[in-house]
Amino acid sequence: MDVRSNRREAGGSSVVTANRLLDGRIVWLAGDGAWSGRIDAAHVFSNDGIEAVIDATARRQQADGVVGVYGVQVRDDSTTPVPVTVRERIRAFGPTVHPEFATLTEVPPDVR
Amino acid sequence: MSAEILAAPSSGIAPVGHYAYDQVDRAFLHDRVEQFRDQVARRLSGTLSEDEFKPLRLMNGLYLQLHAYMLRVAIPYGILDSRQMRELANIARTYDRDYGHFTTRQNIQFNWIRLEDTPDILARLATVDMHAIQTSGNCIRNVTCDQFAGAAADELLDPRVHAEILRQWSTLHPEFSFLPRKFKIAISGSPNDRVAARFHDIGLVAKPGRHGTVFDVFVGGGMGRTPIVGVHLRDNLPEEDLLAYLEAMIRVYNEYGRRDNIYKARIKILVQALGAEGYREKVDAEFAAMDRARYRLPPETVAAIRARFGTPALDAPSDAAERLAGARRADAAFDRWVRTNTHSHRAAGYISAVISLKPDGGIPGDATSAQLDAIADLAERFSFGEIRISHMQNVVLGHVRQDELHALWQELGRAGLASANIGLIGDIIACPGLDYCSLANARSIPIAQKLSARFANPDLQERIGDLQIKISGCINACGHHHAGHIGILGVDKKGEEFFQLTLGGSAASDAAIGQILGPALPEDSTVDAIAHLVDAYLVHRTDGERFLDTYRRLGAALFKDAVYALA
Ligand code: HEM
Ligand code: SF4
Repeated sequence: MDVRSNRREAGGSSVVTANRLLDGRIVWLAGDGAWSGRIDAAHVFSNDGIEAVIDATARRQQADGVVGVYGVQVRDDSTTPVPVTVRERIRAFGPTVHPEFATLTEVPPDVR
Repeated sequence: MSAEILAAPSSGIAPVGHYAYDQVDRAFLHDRVEQFRDQVARRLSGTLSEDEFKPLRLMNGLYLQLHAYMLRVAIPYGILDSRQMRELANIARTYDRDYGHFTTRQNIQFNWIRLEDTPDILARLATVDMHAIQTSGNCIRNVTCDQFAGAAADELLDPRVHAEILRQWSTLHPEFSFLPRKFKIAISGSPNDRVAARFHDIGLVAKPGRHGTVFDVFVGGGMGRTPIVGVHLRDNLPEEDLLAYLEAMIRVYNEYGRRDNIYKARIKILVQALGAEGYREKVDAEFAAMDRARYRLPPETVAAIRARFGTPALDAPSDAAERLAGARRADAAFDRWVRTNTHSHRAAGYISAVISLKPDGGIPGDATSAQLDAIADLAERFSFGEIRISHMQNVVLGHVRQDELHALWQELGRAGLASANIGLIGDIIACPGLDYCSLANARSIPIAQKLSARFANPDLQERIGDLQIKISGCINACGHHHAGHIGILGVDKKGEEFFQLTLGGSAASDAAIGQILGPALPEDSTVDAIAHLVDAYLVHRTDGERFLDTYRRLGAALFKDAVYALA
């Protein structure tokens, strides 16, 4: 995975993401270990322990039916997870040029 | 497939403008689809890991992008028939989100493809003789061609027959399936370069010589992080040596091109390292040593391929031009569209019409399934069922009767396809950028949308005149920003989008690489900055001067002030 998308700061927190093997759609790792199409279902991990979580998740990607597992740092000023980079916000909420494809209809307008 | 398996003429009715496949071609495509179906099944069952599967899916044009898989389908030399266009519409409707995206390399991309559907999609493409082979990977990619080929008044000869020969020669070429890096060839038959021949790994310009067709050869051009204008390798390459010489050129690259560093692997780096002379010497030595008879392209083979192309019966009524002139006088909006969106045809009473895929505020190169179907219908009604995709991300109907042009324009208007902006500021090239592309630094499409909305006024666009804006979301330069009169490059600063402007590029016969104007700008000031550049140009231009000419005459300082002095 591109370092740009995978960078994390000490003290921050992150969610874990991948693409579904069957259809390529973006998924987020939820608290119960299942994958969700919605970032607001994602479990937020402290960056301190996240590498271990990513490694363990990547090892079971074939069984889970996902590819390309990595971590995405989220803002610390939001109650629901909002990625810090534009790239990951676009992954989380859909292409900005097609609002009708938004993954979450209730996304606050200021997160784009 | 090398020269010896070039097929014999068939008796069927060939589609206008492209080569008619035969049973051998169809059987091959069928086998290839079934092979991929098996590979997908093995991937889903876990027999193939992602690392093993990735090269296999890429060989079939399937990428994993930001939101989904993306399928890139080749449109050889940019020509489609109406039946093929309808199948693309079907695929968009059935398997994607009801639209497709035409690229600067005369391909179409579908952005929302599921892996599990891909074998079925490829099978449907194969029913209309289309595929996604060699649209990715380190092989010879889709050969691109002039969008006015076989129609343009300024053309010396129709390059599509040779484009087809190159397609057959390069498809599954055993020696060239694992080159150091991807390899792109463009061919034109006009002295007015509309294929960006000098920005390709190999650019060919075909022309009639004293004893038949000859080629001018350019090599080592490219964009990406090291933009280079190709060098003129040789003049007047005889037709019968075309394949042998290209074979020699690519063998030298295959042998000496760098495989240790992906950023230095394109042929342009080799040509720079050896120098044009050094590279030419090696090619000539290879050419002299090789089995030339094996690669000889005899006139009979060219004739056989030519026979597999349908040709349009051009017989416009003698008053066609007069009737077009009358329609233009009667309808100012139509007259404007004719001024911007047509190109002179070689045959009396005919004209080529460009369908802009750049509506004001729209996404450059995108077309809905309904629009793809509408274009197929209009091509059948007005242009022998033949459709061309341009590297400017537009569509061309090559052979329209002048007396029918007004009716075509009215129909285009009904389909939302009558924007009159070809070659103007609204005719922007933009790559998919960060909205879709996993390699992107920044979004390209929203900048294009804001610009085309801002400059939507057709009077203003015509007053500004010839101005090419090209936008790439990262240094890979898929949006050709290096060759834009104004280029816009997306850069990433700590996860936020910034845009760097370059001025003075050109992809035409006066090919040049744009120069960086100054520090990158945040997204919200980029559109204003372009407006300031345009204002400065309008103030300082002399009569008949394009933006590019004014920039070349006066230099960057004035434009730099226009953008940065206000900031
Ligand atoms: C979305 C998936 C895409 C990926 C992953 C991709 C990747 C790349 C890469 C890595 C390069 C740089 C190659 C090099 O310098 O060696 C490149 C160049 C290029 N791509 Fe793309 N690209 C994509 C989409 C497109 C699209 C949509 C277009 C047309 C609009 C396009 C047309 C080109 C062209 C014209 C170049 C520059 C010419 C060259 O030097 O090869 N690509 N692409
Ligand atoms: S220029 Fe960069 S962002 Fe744009 S399509 Fe190419 S790789 Fe993607």
